[in-house]
Amino acid sequence: MKRSVVVISLLAGLVGACTQKEQPKELNLFAWSEYVPQSVIEGFQKDTGIKVNYETYASNEEMLAKLVSGATKYDLIQPSEYTIEALANEKQLKEVDWSKVPNFKNIAPEYKNMPHDPQQKFTVPWMVGTVGIVVNTEKIPAGEVKGYKDVFQDKHKGRIVVLDDPREIVTWAMSTQGISANDVTPENLDKVKPLLQQWLPLVKVYDSDSPKTALLNGDVDLGVVWSGEAALLYNEDKKFEYVLPVEGAHLFIDSLAIPANAPNPEAAYAFMNYILRPEVSKLISADFPYTNPNLEARKQLTPEQLANPASYPPGNPKLETFRDIGERAVPIDKLVTDLKAQS
Amino acid sequence: MRTGTTNVAAPTGYQRPPGLPGWLLLSPLLLWVALFVITPTVIMLVYSFGRRGTLGGVVLDFTMENYAAVLDPTYLKILVRSVIYSGLTTIICLVMGYPVAYYIGRADERWRNLLLMMVMIPFWTSFLIRTYAWVTILKSEGLLNGFLMQYNLILQPFEMLYTPGAVILGLVYTFLPFMILPIYTSVEKLDSALVEAAFDLGAGPVRAFSRVIVPMTSPGITAGILLVFIPALGLYAVNDILGGGKVDMIGNIIENQFKGNARNWPFGSALGITLLLAFGVAFWFTGRRQAES
Repeated sequence: MKRSVVVISLLAGLVGACTQKEQPKELNLFAWSEYVPQSVIEGFQKDTGIKVNYETYASNEEMLAKLVSGATKYDLIQPSEYTIEALANEKQLKEVDWSKVPNFKNIAPEYKNMPHDPQQKFTVPWMVGTVGIVVNTEKIPAGEVKGYKDVFQDKHKGRIVVLDDPREIVTWAMSTQGISANDVTPENLDKVKPLLQQWLPLVKVYDSDSPKTALLNGDVDLGVVWSGEAALLYNEDKKFEYVLPVEGAHLFIDSLAIPANAPNPEAAYAFMNYILRPEVSKLISADFPYTNPNLEARKQLTPEQLANPASYPPGNPKLETFRDIGERAVPIDKLVTDLKAQS
Repeated sequence: MRTGTTNVAAPTGYQRPPGLPGWLLLSPLLLWVALFVITPTVIMLVYSFGRRGTLGGVVLDFTMENYAAVLDPTYLKILVRSVIYSGLTTIICLVMGYPVAYYIGRADERWRNLLLMMVMIPFWTSFLIRTYAWVTILKSEGLLNGFLMQYNLILQPFEMLYTPGAVILGLVYTFLPFMILPIYTSVEKLDSALVEAAFDLGAGPVRAFSRVIVPMTSPGITAGILLVFIPALGLYAVNDILGGGKVDMIGNIIENQFKGNARNWPFGSALGITLLLAFGVAFWFTGRRQAES
């Protein structure tokens, strides 16, 4: 019984999609949880009359799992740079028709033609961020922590939160040895293993979803987290200092992209163009204070927003991004699991 | 249903095969089992012999690599630790849950439903929200530490959150009702005359409990143990939220193969199948114990 209902509704959806090809009525948006403000979705629906079906995920890999299974067809996804590269290599992304996204001109030049999309064929940048160190300066003097090496000290044992992300953790250790984030080889992993062996037992909490919680609750005093989380902490209380590690930080960039099999690419173009409007992009910045790659939108931000050192690191340093490392991610996962099990 | 003579063997005589109406009545259940139990398990079994796909997913193949990787000491260590955690959870739930279930089951009819309702009320709130509530209670500036410090019972905040103890607490909290409810059903059916007879024949309270009450409520105890032990072994959310993700449980490792960097579905499937086999063995073992008693 249930199945026939599902089949009928699917058929209805198909018929709907076919007859309304010229004027899309639906956008199947598959995006990170807590990254698209409700006001933006409502504004888009009101502005275009296109209904948004909004589904969320908590990691790039979770998104890939659903996308690859093909159970649902999405019009727009929000992958990070290394996932964009993997998807593009597998011909899973649709080339953007830039004539339909004129507002793309608002994007700052440094976020165009980046290594994951060198010809700027597939993606519209959503938000840019860094991974850096947050210090509660009421517990640890400001300026004392300058890099990863200062975080992972015995005196901070049990007072540290880090992202629950093996690749991130291994990258931090590699950068203290001057190894590039993308130079993942068995030799380099061996090289950083002793360091990680010292680091991991010092950690109190691993949390990628909301690392700010442990810092706000006072359960830890410092940590290595996403810059957006650090910016929210800074907005909450100025005692939370954000530091880009001296050993070398890296940048991540989340973008909108259209899957190759998207049923309503026109709706996807409309959404891309909509969020690139400065007055809309501004709303995203207000809720999720990462670095806004939209220059026109930045002009509309308040001085306080622009002065948040986690959102807009002073000096605008040039940083490297993650590339797709394919199955070299497996030994990373194994290494961190091994070390966690030992500690 | 089951009285003192528990060692009467199940009837072994000729059993009539179900007719067409019988099959029709069974068909929803059979369909459900086929679609949602057998099919996913077969898919998982097939995946577990495959190779890692580039974007996740599986390239079908026949390799034992994934099972060889499962035998790695790290994963065995994590599996053993998970068994210890869920075993401890089961024991605590049993010790705490049995008296409660017994009391409810023996309580006056008027109170019984109210008491049962109180056991079930937490289910009305999402499991995740209830677990996050424990963060508020246990954190170092939280309710419990605040209370203890206010009355000078401790001088410094006591580190409770993000410890193994917090994980066990969360697991016990989550699964306690699953121990109480099946034991309650057994206790409710317990024939008081038999307990009285035990006393009349000279058994003390300890003996009456261990030789009469426990054997007669053993179906409930077994069901409770299975309902607590097996889900506790696979649950990873409590470990992430209350344990700080520091010590991986087997559920975390499996989750990571699908939602983490490695995108290694075949290995995740092999871990899942291994866990399923472990469950099977545990189930068979308790079933045998049950039959022996």
